[in-house]
Amino acid sequence: MTATAQPETAAPRAPVLTLQRMMPALLLMPCLAWISFFFLLPLALMCWRSLTAEGFSLAAYSTLFTSALYAKVMLTTVKTASIATVLALSLAYPLAYALTLSGGKLRALILVFVLIPYWVDIIVRSFSWLILLGDNGIINKMLMTLGVVHTPLELLYNPFSVLVAMVQILLPLTTVILFGAMLRIDRTLIAAAKIHGAGGWQAFRTVFFPLSLPGVYGAALLVFVLSLGFYVTPALLGSPRETMIAQTIMVEANQLLDWEQASAAGFVLLVITTLIAAIYNRYFSLDRLWGGSDA
Amino acid sequence: MSAAAARIGLGAAVTVILAYLIFPVVVVLAISFSSGNFLSFPPPGFSLRWYQAIAGDPEWVSALFVTLKVGSLAALLATLLGVPAAFALVRYVIPAKALLSALILCALVTPPVVTAISTYLFFVPLGLVNTIVGLACAHAVSGMPFVVINTAASLRSADRNLERAAIIHGAPPLWAIIRITLPIVSPGIIIGAILAFVHSAHELLIATFLLGGVGKPVAVKIWSGVQATSDPTIAAASAILIGLAILTFASVAAAQSLARRRSA
Repeated sequence: MTATAQPETAAPRAPVLTLQRMMPALLLMPCLAWISFFFLLPLALMCWRSLTAEGFSLAAYSTLFTSALYAKVMLTTVKTASIATVLALSLAYPLAYALTLSGGKLRALILVFVLIPYWVDIIVRSFSWLILLGDNGIINKMLMTLGVVHTPLELLYNPFSVLVAMVQILLPLTTVILFGAMLRIDRTLIAAAKIHGAGGWQAFRTVFFPLSLPGVYGAALLVFVLSLGFYVTPALLGSPRETMIAQTIMVEANQLLDWEQASAAGFVLLVITTLIAAIYNRYFSLDRLWGGSDA
Repeated sequence: MSAAAARIGLGAAVTVILAYLIFPVVVVLAISFSSGNFLSFPPPGFSLRWYQAIAGDPEWVSALFVTLKVGSLAALLATLLGVPAAFALVRYVIPAKALLSALILCALVTPPVVTAISTYLFFVPLGLVNTIVGLACAHAVSGMPFVVINTAASLRSADRNLERAAIIHGAPPLWAIIRITLPIVSPGIIIGAILAFVHSAHELLIATFLLGGVGKPVAVKIWSGVQATSDPTIAAASAILIGLAILTFASVAAAQSLARRRSA
C-alpha cells in the first residue's frame, strides 16, 4: 500500500533530486576516468607484461629476487634514500622552525629562497653540482688555494655527490611540509612552559620538539618514497658501480629492451612505494600535502 | 644557552642552508653568461654567445616549442579535469572520499620510472608514441594533483555565502558558480595550472620514451646534452628554464597578492 503511495509523492521532485545526487559523480567522473585510462590501466598492463616472459611465468620475479645484481641495487637504493631522507629532514627542520619564528618580510624572504630551487629543473640542479664538485670546480679550487689539499679531491661520481644533490633537491618540499606541520602546533603551549619557568631551550626540547615529531615522521615517509624513485641525480653524479633501482629499470627497458624484467622491477618498486604511501595516507592523509598554496 | 645566542646560532644555520639551496641556481645562471668555452665557475667574462647559439639552433628552438605545446595542453587538460573534481571533493559528501582523493594524488608519489615504462607499454598499441598529444595526456595525470590541491584550498577558504546570495537573488545555480565562485577561486586554479605546466616541462622519463627520438622537448634535449657536451650551451638552456621558472613564480606571487587584495 505504501509502496504505491510513495512514487506519487516523490515523482514531481525526482528529476531535481537525481541531478543533485548525480552531481558529485558527474563532476568526478571525467577526472577518475582519465586517471583509470591513462594511469591505472597502463600500470595493470605493466603488471601483466611482467608475467609474460616465455609464455606465462614468474621468471622475471625469480630473477629479481635471486640475482645478486638486484639485491645490490635495492640495497644501494634503500641506503641512499634513507640517508638522503635523514639529511633533508635535519636541514629542513631549522629552516621550518626559523619560518615559524619569523614573521612578515623575513618569513617571505626565507620562503622565496626555499621555493626558487623548487621551480628549477632537477636535471639543471644536478648538472650544477657536476660543475661545482668537479676537479676544476670551485670547491676543489678553494680547498687548493687555501692549501687544505694539494691534489683535487674526488668529489664526483660517488655517494657523496649523489647525496649533496639529492638533499638540495628534496629540501624545498621537506621544508614546506615541516613548516605546515609546525604551524599546526599550538604556540600557547610553549608560552605556558615558559611561564612555568622553562628556559627557551628547555621549552623547545620538552614541548615544541615532541609536538613536531608527528610532522617529522610524515615528512620522512614522503621524502623517502620520493627518494626511492630518483633517476637523474644518481645517473649523472653517481658511480656506475652503485646504481639505484630507477637507473636499472631504465637500462633494462631502454637499452636491453627486456620489458618483462623492467616491468617486474617496476611493479615491485610500485608495490613498495604504494605501501609506504598508504601508511602515510592512513596516519597523515595525503590531501593535507602542501596545504594548498602556502607560498 | 641564552636566548640571544640560540637565535644567532639558528640564524647562522639558516643562512648556510639557504646558501646551499640557492648556490646551484646562481652557478648555472652565471655560467650561461660566460664568455669562455668551458663549464668553469666563476666564468672568465660576460657574453651572450651561448644564448645566441641556442636562438640560432633550430633544434633548440623546436624543443622549446614542443615543451610549450605539451605543457600547455597538459595544463589545460589537468585544469578541465581537476577543477570539477575539486568542487566535488570540497562541496559534497561522497562515499570513500579519502580513497578517491588518494587516487587523484597518488600520481605524485609513484616513481616516475614506473609511470614512464607503463605508459610506454600502453601507448605503443594505441599509436600514441611520438605524438605531442600522447605525452600531454600522460602529463595531465601527474599535473592534475596540483590543480586539485590548489583549487580545493581556494574553494575551502572562499565564502560560499556570496554564491548563495546570488542564487537567492534569482541567479541559476550554475550561473552563480560561473559568475561568482569561479572568479573567487581563479587564483588557485591558475597556480594549479602553472604548477602542472612546470611539472610537464621538467618531466624527463615519460618524455624520453614518448618523444625521445624526433621532436624532443627541452628536458630530453638538456638531458642528452648534460651527458655528452661540456660547453655552456646547456647552462644557457638551463638558464632559460630558470628564467621561465622565475617568471612563472612571479606570476604566481602576483596571482596570490591579487587574491589577497580581493579577499581583503
